[in-house]
Order: sequence, then structure tokens, then C-alpha cells
Amino acid sequence: MRNKRNAFWIALATPGVIWLAVLFVVPFYAVLSIGMGKLNQLYEAPVAVWNPASWSSSSVIDVWRDLFGGASFAGPILARTVIYVALASLLSLAIGYPVAYFVARFAGRRKALFLVLLIAPFWISYMMRMLAWIDLLATGGYVNKVLGWVGITPVNWLGGSSVAVVLGLVYGYIPYLILVLYAGLDRIDPALIEAGRDLGLGRVRTFLHVTLPLSRQPILTGLLITVLPMLGDYYTNQMLSGAASTSMIGNLIQGQLGTPGLEGQGAVLSLMLLVVLLVPMVYYVIATNREATR
Amino acid sequence: MTETSASGQLAEAGATPGRALPAARRPGRLPWGNPWGHPWFLEGFTWLYLIWSLVPIVIAVLFSFNDGRSQSAWQGFSWRWYFSDPVNSVLHNPQLHAAVIQTARLSVLTTVIAVPLGVAFALGINRWRGPVPSTFNFVMILSYVIPELIFGVSMFFVFTTLFSSVHLGTLAEVLGLVTWNVSWPAIVVQARLVTLGRQYEEAAADLGANQFQVMRRVLLPLLAPAIFASAVLVFSGVIDDFVIVDLLSSSAGNTPMSVIIYSTQHGGNGGPALNALGTIMLAMSLIIVIIGYVGYRLLTWGERGSGIAALAAISGEG
Amino acid sequence: MPRRRFLKGGAGATLAALALGSGADGLLTGCASDLADAGTVPLPRPDHPVTWPLFPGNGPIKSGLAAEPDATLQVYTWEAYINQACVNSFAKKYKCKVQVTTFNTMNEALSKLRSGLSYDILIGATVDVLGQLIEGKLVQPLNHSYIPNISQAWPDYANPFYDQHWQYTVPYTIYTTGISWRKDLVDESPYSMANPWAMPWQPKYKGRVAILDDYREGICLGLMKNGLFDLNTTDYRQIGTSRRALQDLIGLVNLRIDNNDYSEVPTGQTWITNAWSGDMAAAVSYMPKGVNVDVVGYWFPPDGRGPVANDTNVVLQSAASPVLAHMFLNYMLDLPVVLENISWNGYMQPLTGVTPQVLVKEQILPQSLVSTAVQPLAFRRGLFELQLPVDADALWQQAWLVVSNGI
Repeated sequence: MRNKRNAFWIALATPGVIWLAVLFVVPFYAVLSIGMGKLNQLYEAPVAVWNPASWSSSSVIDVWRDLFGGASFAGPILARTVIYVALASLLSLAIGYPVAYFVARFAGRRKALFLVLLIAPFWISYMMRMLAWIDLLATGGYVNKVLGWVGITPVNWLGGSSVAVVLGLVYGYIPYLILVLYAGLDRIDPALIEAGRDLGLGRVRTFLHVTLPLSRQPILTGLLITVLPMLGDYYTNQMLSGAASTSMIGNLIQGQLGTPGLEGQGAVLSLMLLVVLLVPMVYYVIATNREATR
Repeated sequence: MTETSASGQLAEAGATPGRALPAARRPGRLPWGNPWGHPWFLEGFTWLYLIWSLVPIVIAVLFSFNDGRSQSAWQGFSWRWYFSDPVNSVLHNPQLHAAVIQTARLSVLTTVIAVPLGVAFALGINRWRGPVPSTFNFVMILSYVIPELIFGVSMFFVFTTLFSSVHLGTLAEVLGLVTWNVSWPAIVVQARLVTLGRQYEEAAADLGANQFQVMRRVLLPLLAPAIFASAVLVFSGVIDDFVIVDLLSSSAGNTPMSVIIYSTQHGGNGGPALNALGTIMLAMSLIIVIIGYVGYRLLTWGERGSGIAALAAISGEG
Repeated sequence: MPRRRFLKGGAGATLAALALGSGADGLLTGCASDLADAGTVPLPRPDHPVTWPLFPGNGPIKSGLAAEPDATLQVYTWEAYINQACVNSFAKKYKCKVQVTTFNTMNEALSKLRSGLSYDILIGATVDVLGQLIEGKLVQPLNHSYIPNISQAWPDYANPFYDQHWQYTVPYTIYTTGISWRKDLVDESPYSMANPWAMPWQPKYKGRVAILDDYREGICLGLMKNGLFDLNTTDYRQIGTSRRALQDLIGLVNLRIDNNDYSEVPTGQTWITNAWSGDMAAAVSYMPKGVNVDVVGYWFPPDGRGPVANDTNVVLQSAASPVLAHMFLNYMLDLPVVLENISWNGYMQPLTGVTPQVLVKEQILPQSLVSTAVQPLAFRRGLFELQLPVDADALWQQAWLVVSNGI
């Protein structure tokens, strides 16, 4: 009986497994081979070395030195990236959770309307949204005009400001967070919240002791879905700032991958970023599994 | 439950209401005083967020109808960028024209392949125990974590050297996009599965349903919001993607709108034609969602509500 | 129209220790160690012209052939670099279809070409990648009998230093890199400054200064600011000096690095930037309402000792319609077509019939921006940014990587 049960689920998962094996694991190995590979001298194009025995560690050494060596220059970029992403994700959570909560619990008959409005940003290109914001934030744009009515002097929003970059990150990724939070919060049984109230907990304490713990999984998933892409983002700050002082690790990787001769280093840096990101990923998987076996 | 009885019950229970009900105030007087009242603050906050989120979209759509070449200075209303301009409108410019078609093609193909693949994977992995599924679950998550640029570069490399029978072009784009986006349904559906628990399945199994029926009539309907959300994510992920597709495209015939918008705006000549493209994208997506939603309702007409309710009642969860 | 030019060059397999202390006087040491078969590619220079070899098996097409019937001409070019109207008129005249595929960086184009994608023509091949294109057998030699319009180009182009006897190339655009500024928002004018290249280095314009996102242009700016005018230098000390100057600039003005000169100076987002002449020539289209184009200035050294570049058109080796390809190249050297192209593109083309007077008369260029037009003398006297030897290019690239990431 157990084998028969298992066979069904295995069959379901198999197409995905094969797909990943062929179209993800192999390219991933290709990235490794490029990172540990050589260079074609005429084109300065990377040559992948497939046999691990012949891997060359020169790119790894270069990147390591760039990051941690005596003359390292990548440290400030890393620190900056972490700070921007942390601020952006906390802000996204602070804005997104109330919105998702409202729509999941209180929207009632208007839920479909709210959902459509929440989803709308997905379907007009990210570029378009950002371009519209750039227009609004221009020195003569509407944001400064409105500030002018209140008597505040015009701000040079697009002159290389980290505030603009963080807000841009929030703007770009918050729809994903809200959608995932909504999918999770939708599931919370209102009866549990009622029970909390019945027991005499006030609104705030009901929230803290009942709703928040139940939202742990959606929050975790939501943060995952926003933080990780943010760390690889390189176009938000290019569009909203363009200043060298706001560049993130994504820009460094993009620069290396686009520079003949430095693709190997770009590959290595991406892999290092990946290794770092695996830590929260593993935590997420463990937490999810723990939740499942509860 | 009236306000006075609520406070009465609270007082009887001897519980300290905490900050929400300070003794000097009665519930219902203040916006946050009544726990059962409509949360006006939350609603206001939500509307503020929606305005912040959507105003730029409205502007972008508006400027697609601009008479002049500017994307920021209104110069009058015109359909020029959609079809009247004989050279540069979406209808007449072959590059833009082909881009609309390619976006539609890619988004539909990718969604249709990635969502079932990902949902099946999530379901299967959740129940299959062992080192193989755990590893591949990990790989799935890895495919989500990896920065898109390096993934795109590796796909380019693989399709031009290893699997070179798959040339750059639409097939390569679809394969790359599916691989990139399959983690959405896999992760979102798994998360929801986790919170669902096993009780519904077990109840259905007790009632004699085989696994296929359990999946079709119990799990899939319960997972519907997650499946819907992940389909939305995949669809929009494809429409908006320019990193992977740029690397895997081979000619103007398989370059979608996102790449045109990115490369044109980013490195050269923008213009309201791009806004027109964006608006078309928006319209296309809305149409597809409406079709999908209506189709879903039709397919599950009569099944959804009653089946689950009966099951829930029997299993004691009512 | 602007383009992102990541010029193709070379890099050694290992970069030697690059000591990059941010306050200290770091030195860049060069390295030429593990290069197996180093530079067998000739490096063209104005004083060392190059005649490219003709390879067996890659000869020109025969003369006197008719255009391929019912063909679709595949054009591969930079984003927004050719007027669709010109393309359409060619298609109509020669009764064929034309499909234009675009790329964003030369690196991308070369990768795709090497991977086997086939097109008929490459429009806008920069001079510094000709070595790779030709030695890599990605382009085919031209049959001159199909391109009589070469006589309309400047006489220099019948025998340019980078392709003697124009075996593989015809010229496309010619442009200079100068300084663009807002006359109404900035007190100084480069014309009256002792060191005009130092104009961006002024802290009072913090947040309003940008430079082009191009490693050659960036490091060259640093070099010229320091009075160094060898724009193809292999001297690590000069590169280091330039890098330090640029890093100072970042600190002084919170420097922005992008290719939006064409729109940001007209709208006033940027007040001072180095810029491409073709970008600024089109400023008229980007001026906001009520602001006259006269406020936009473009300066290039009057003695001509500044960066000059020209792009070329080539026929690709894998061309399916080579005769049509030659005809297209010929078509793009015809004056009326060229004027129409420039009016959309902004970038000047080196035809004898294209003079500043003609451009102003045809209302393609406003009088105030006549400095963006390039004179034949510039081709001879200007400083070209050309292909560097592999290890020197690595130094340039690495220096730029550090600068552009704000360290």
C-alpha cells in the first residue's frame, strides 16, 4: 500500500525532476566550468573547462582578492547592497502586510476588485513603471511641484540618492510580497481570531499572539520572494540613480559578465553570492518542513 | 454581539484588555476601539498604497496616446503610436509588431508548461520522502535563488555549445523561461500545502477516494488560490523578463516587447511607442486573466463549494 | 542616438596584483605572462595603417550579379541606430524585405555572431573590433563594383588607416566626444577655461555631473584632464592616474555614470557631462516645453585634439543575400538617404555633401550646435580610441570596473 501511494507522487514529481536535471543542473555546472575555466585569446571569450581535474583557480583568486585581499574594493559594495536590501524588505513588509491583511480578511465582496488592482502592476512592464516614476521625480516633475505647494524646496531625487534607490526597490518588488502574503493570510481561520478575542485579548494582542504566528510561513515565503531577487538586481539603481556611489553587487556582476576577459570572475562572484544566499534558503526549507510535520 | 456585552464579557472574564481598551474609553467611540468594526485605517492605508502603486501605470498608459514624441510632456491625444503613424506605430513598425506577437507566444507557452510542471512537482515532492526529492527540492530553490543574469548567461552558453541543436530562438527562449519560472508554482504551492495539512486528504481516503481523485477533487481546489497566484507570477514574470530572453533571442522575429522596451529606453530612443507596447501588454494580460477566471469558474461550477463543505463537515472540521 | 559601447578588447588570463588602496597611492602593475598566442592580430594606428589579409575560402562575391529575388535582408545593428524610413525606402526600391535585429553592446553582438547566428550586414562595427571580425572570419571582403557611392564619401575613406584599400569596410558614422553643458545653469564655459577637460571636477555642481558609461571614454577623460593625450596608452601609471582622477570625481560631485546625455542635458537633470556629438545633435527633440535648444552647449577642442571615432558597415561572412547586402551599403552612402538618416539619428556621416552649412540649412542641426558636426580634418588630426593589446586592455577594464562601482 505504501509503495503504491508513493509511486503516484513520484510520478507527479518526475517531469519536474528531469526538467531541472537537464535544464538547470547542467547549465549550473556550465557556470562552474566557466568560472574555473580559461580564456580564448583572440576573442577574450571564456572557455569552459568541463573536467574538474583541469580547473584553474585564477578567477577565484582574483575575486577573493577583490573581496577580501589587502587592496579589496568590493567590501563597500557588499555592505551597501545588504543595507539597501534590508531596508527595502523591511519597508516592503511594513507596507505590504497591512494591505495583504486587509484584502485577505476584510475585503469581503470587493475582494476580486482589490485583487485585480493589486495584480495590475505585474502586467505593465517594470520598465514602464520605473520610467513613469523617473518622469514624476524629475527636477521639474510633479513630485517636486507638489512639494512646492507645501513650501518645500525641490529635491534632486534622481541625482544619485540612496533613498531613491531603496524606494525604487520597494516599489519594484512589493507587489510580489503582497500577493504571496495574501495567498498565505487568506488561509488563516477567522475562528481562531475570534477565539483570541473571546479570551479577552485586545486587538493588538490578538494580532501578536494569534495572527502573527500564523502568518510566519507566508511572511517567510514573501521575504524570500523579495529579498533574493533584490540582491541580484542591477537595473533599479541604474535607472533611478546611475551614480557610482549607489552601485550594488548586481552591478559588479553585470559589469564583469559584460567585460571581455572578466566573465570568469563574474561567474565566480555569482557563485559566491549563491553560496551566501543558501544560508537563508536552507533555513527556509527546514522551517517549512518543520511546519509540514507539525 | 453588541459592544456593551463585549466589554461586559471581558470584565467578567477578568482579563486585562491591554492597550486596545483603555478603561477610560468605551469601545466604538474610536476608530480602533471596536474590534468588530470595519477597519477604516487599514482600508485607507490600502487605498493609499494602491494609488501609489497605480498612478505611474495610469501615466504610462496616458502617454501612449500622446500626440508628440515626448513621454513626459502632454502634446495632445492621438492614436498615432498604435496604428496611425505609418512608420513608427506598433502596427506599422515591423520590429514592434513582431514583438507583440512574440510576447503573447512566449507568455502563453511558458505559463501553460511551467504551472502544471511546477504544481505537479510541488505535490509530488511534498509526499515523496527520501534523499532524491530533498535534493531536487533544494535544486528547485536554487533555481530561484540564482541571479537571473548568470542564469541567462549559462543558458546562452549551453544552447550555443552543449545543446547546440537547440539554436537560439523561440524554443530556447521558452525552455529558458520555463526553467526560470517553474520555481514560482513549486514554491508557492508547497508553502500552501504545508499550511493545509493532511486532514482533508485523509478524510477523502477514508471515504474511498483513490489518490488521483484526492488530488483532483480535494487538493487542487484547496490549492486554487496558490495555483492562481503562481500562474499570475509566471505570466507576469515572462511578460516582463528581458534578461534571459535578450540573451537567447536570435532575430527581430523572436524579440518580445520587454526586450525592446529595455534596450530602447535604456540605450537609445524612447518614445510613446514604448508606452503603447506597455499598454498593449497590460490589455493582453487583463484579457487572459479574465478568460482564465471565467474558464475556471465554468469548469468548477457546482463542484467547488459543495464538495469541500461536505467533506469538511464529515471530517469534523465544520 | 546614444549607444552603450563596451568596446571589445582583450584581457590576460590572470591579472597581476592590482593594489587599489583607496586613499593610498596605489599602483597598477602590468602583466603579460600567461598569454599563449598573444597579439597576432595587427593593431591599426593612424601612423601604422593596416592592410588586412584576404583569406582563402573567404573571397568577395563575383561582379555583375543580380540582386537575390524575394529575399529578406537581415540587418544587424545597434539599437536605434538606423532610420526605419531609410530601411523601408530601400525595401521598396529593391523590392525586397528587410528585417532589422538590434543589439545593445558590441560584446553581445560578437558573442552572438560567434555562436553561429547569421545575418547579412553589420551596421556600426566600431573600428576597434575590426581585428576580431576579420581575423575571426566573421566578415567577407567587399566587391567594390557594387558600391560606386563610395565616391560621395570623404576621400580619406578610400584608404583609411584601419582598412587600407577599403577591403572590408565602408564608413557609416563619424562622431567626436566632447563636453556638453547647460549654458544657463553653469557659470563656466569650456571655451574660456584653461583646462576644459577638468570642467566636471567642480564640487559646486554636486549631483549634476555625469560621464558616459564606456570604459574607453571614461579613462580617456581622466587621461586628458591630466594632460595625457595618448588615448591608446599601455602605461599602467597613466591608467592609474586617470583612475584616481575619476575616483576623486565621484567623491566631489556624486558622479552619475550613464548614457543618457542625449536626454538629461536638455531636460536639465545633468548640467555637465562628456557626450557624443551625435547624441547632442539631436537635443532639439528632447527639450522640454518652453526651453530653447540654445541653452545646450557642446564643446570639442578647436585644435581637433580630442576623441574622434567612426563606425563602419561590413558584410557578414554568413550573408544569405550578399548582393543585396552590397546594394544596401551603397544605398547608405547616397546623400539624400544619408541626410534622412542623420535627421533621425543625429550622428553625422562622412560624405562630402554633408557639411555644417547643409545640416543647418536642412534644419537637421540648430546653429547653436554646429560644433557637433565633424570636419574632414578631424579624421586626420583627431585622437582615435583603437584596439589595445590584450594585457593593456585588461588594465583599462579593471580600472573602469573599480571606478564604475563607486569604490
